[in-house]
Amino acid sequence: MKAVENGGTSIGIKCKDGVVLAVEKIINSKLLVPGRNKRIQTIDRHIGVVYSGLLPDGRHFVNRGRDEAQSFKSIYKTPVSVPHLMDRLGIYVQNYTCYNSVRPFGVVSIVGGVDDNGPHLYMIEPSGTCWGYSGAATGKGRQTAKSELEKLNYEELTVREAVKVAAKIIHQAHEDNKDKDYELEISWVSKEETGGLHQFVPEELLEEARKLAEDDEGEEDEEMES
Amino acid sequence: MNHDPFLWGRPSNDTYGAYNHAIAQASVQEATHDQLDQFPKKHTQQPIITGTSVIALKYKDGIIMAADTMGSYGSLMRFNNIERLFRVGKETVVGISGDISDMQQLHRILNELETDEEVYDNDGGHNLRAPHVHEYLTRILYNRRSKMDPLWNAVLVGGFNDDGSPFLKYVDLLGVAYGSSTLATGFGNHLAIPLLRQLIPNDTDYVNVTEEQAKKVVMDCMRVLFYRDARSFDKFSMVTIKDGGKGFDFEKNIKIDNQSWRFARDIKGYGSKQE
Amino acid sequence: MFRNNYDNDSVTYSPTGRLFQVEYALEAIKQGSAAVGLVSKTHVVLVALKRNAEELGSYQKKIIKVDDHMGIALAGLAPDARVLSNYLRKQAMSSKMIFNRPLLTSKAVLSIADKAQENTQSYGSRPYGVGLLISGYDETGAHLYEFQPSGSVLEYFGAAIGARSQAARTYLERNLDTITESETVEQLIVHGLNALRDTLSQDVELTFKNTSVSVVGKDTDFTIYDDENVQQWLDKLDSVSNARNREEDDEDNANDDENNTAPAETEQLEDRMETDE
Repeated sequence: MKAVENGGTSIGIKCKDGVVLAVEKIINSKLLVPGRNKRIQTIDRHIGVVYSGLLPDGRHFVNRGRDEAQSFKSIYKTPVSVPHLMDRLGIYVQNYTCYNSVRPFGVVSIVGGVDDNGPHLYMIEPSGTCWGYSGAATGKGRQTAKSELEKLNYEELTVREAVKVAAKIIHQAHEDNKDKDYELEISWVSKEETGGLHQFVPEELLEEARKLAEDDEGEEDEEMES
Repeated sequence: MNHDPFLWGRPSNDTYGAYNHAIAQASVQEATHDQLDQFPKKHTQQPIITGTSVIALKYKDGIIMAADTMGSYGSLMRFNNIERLFRVGKETVVGISGDISDMQQLHRILNELETDEEVYDNDGGHNLRAPHVHEYLTRILYNRRSKMDPLWNAVLVGGFNDDGSPFLKYVDLLGVAYGSSTLATGFGNHLAIPLLRQLIPNDTDYVNVTEEQAKKVVMDCMRVLFYRDARSFDKFSMVTIKDGGKGFDFEKNIKIDNQSWRFARDIKGYGSKQE
Repeated sequence: MFRNNYDNDSVTYSPTGRLFQVEYALEAIKQGSAAVGLVSKTHVVLVALKRNAEELGSYQKKIIKVDDHMGIALAGLAPDARVLSNYLRKQAMSSKMIFNRPLLTSKAVLSIADKAQENTQSYGSRPYGVGLLISGYDETGAHLYEFQPSGSVLEYFGAAIGARSQAARTYLERNLDTITESETVEQLIVHGLNALRDTLSQDVELTFKNTSVSVVGKDTDFTIYDDENVQQWLDKLDSVSNARNREEDDEDNANDDENNTAPAETEQLEDRMETDE
């Protein structure tokens, strides 16, 4: 089952003021249109998700998340909180492991959002296991990414800084898969930066982060120590 | 006829015998909870808390819409802080009069629409604009009226067409829909439209109207409405959208200025001071 | 005729995490005749090779109109394509009914992607056995998508599906820049037909009977050219058979440059071996 997890690396970082999601999108053909075929999706206005594995299964997962969020809102007239949504999704994903008439989800999803209780980050596996994280990684380069994520100070980090960190981590994680090109996709959700909405980061910031990540390559060792 | 104060007007049991509740299975009192679905269903037959007129007009750069903030319970001024203008998407405003709880339901429906169309898998460039919102509301309201269970509202939708020209249309609880350069719901149809049409006599004349002129006539309309419509209020909200949606200005708590109630002295035959 | 123990249904993963039923569905596409799609800034062109089951039979329809601004080309099981295109038509109609606007191509494509995904996750249903190229022109421009039975959908500048489609992809990759910069619809169609021609086997030629062409784009409603109408486009080609092209390819390999030809060509051969049986 874990073999499903061979897609591009996805990561999530929970900061003091929000959450950043990033994904390494492997480019399999130069005929693909750059900048399209988005991988990060929105479950509700304040909740984003990124996943690695069988991408169509990921879309199924997200659609369920949207249904849950909307039905919560239609009953309680207030946006769903991230932990409650994850609880519901955990049950849903787990259900797909219980019967021989369906197969489990072929994705590991990282869900991040901001609600009244601040930022939240969760990772959910095909088994339905669902944990909260400060920094989460999945996909092919997850080992590299995890060891980088462990070095971060999550108490102090802001989303604006985390966007650059995320770009760097994805860049490093891509080392494992160097024969193919990739496209970087980063989104964030934060009360200060986006007014609590989940959005893709602005083009300039993405470009700046990507440049930094590529320039840093040379000075890797120095970076590691700091 | 029964002359008991609480049963006044009912057929008297002495004359006609006790009423047979089994007829048309009309008695809910004698039923248990799980039998309720056997009884006739009653739909909305009148609004309860209501908001009065919404007015709107096109001008050369866009549209302006205004509505006061009162919610009336019959003739009682029940709430004075109800916002009846809603922003939908980037460049559309929806103004709703009529039943307030149905208005809140419409607001939720529009919110969900916005999430579906603007937030999910939107790669940009495909925005929800006023004509789409209006068409959607027309479908919703007409569907509900066809179920004999209408949402008791009259709605104005303002914004921009695909080509950037101003858009303004009306739709109500029957699903009736039309567009014009000057629009109003409820009492506004009688009291505000003449003033608006003085400024914009023909449908295409809005291109000569400046924002200043438009805002002035809105203020005049709201003032006249406050004078003459007993369910209106002197605090209102106004939305101005211009330049194809680039400028979206939502002003709240505007007070009607230059009020003069001198004319009220000459009105005879109402209120406590009858002669 | 099982390949292994893990391919009885689409709810069983192999130990390496693959879904064989879904992969077989992808195989069904390769059995179908080729379809090619390509985009310029303003237009999308689909071209497809039709097959007839027997000499006297008619040719299988390859391009289906969905709406004035959208149409699809298929490779694989045609009945499955009809199910999907009917679904798309319904979506397009309801968009007109509810919003009074044409359905966005990306929304349309994602809706069938999600529909196809359901069939890969539950017992008792099989994945769709058809690949689609979806062309559409809407307010966000001209778009071409490739749909696969796995529920995957990707947007391309140029794409090819069906038998020997690798040859067409190679052509598209080589000419990517000139294709996307194409000024006229005619240039785009000629590129499309060139790519399609590369997929032909030895004894087949492009004729007005076996070729379908469709165009959609700015100020152009979705139009299908079939039979007599397609001849005008075939006349623009220097040759309608693949034979000449192959000789040229050999020369190419001998003295022309290195980069994309070599690996692509071997893949192409593999492709042929599988489907020529």
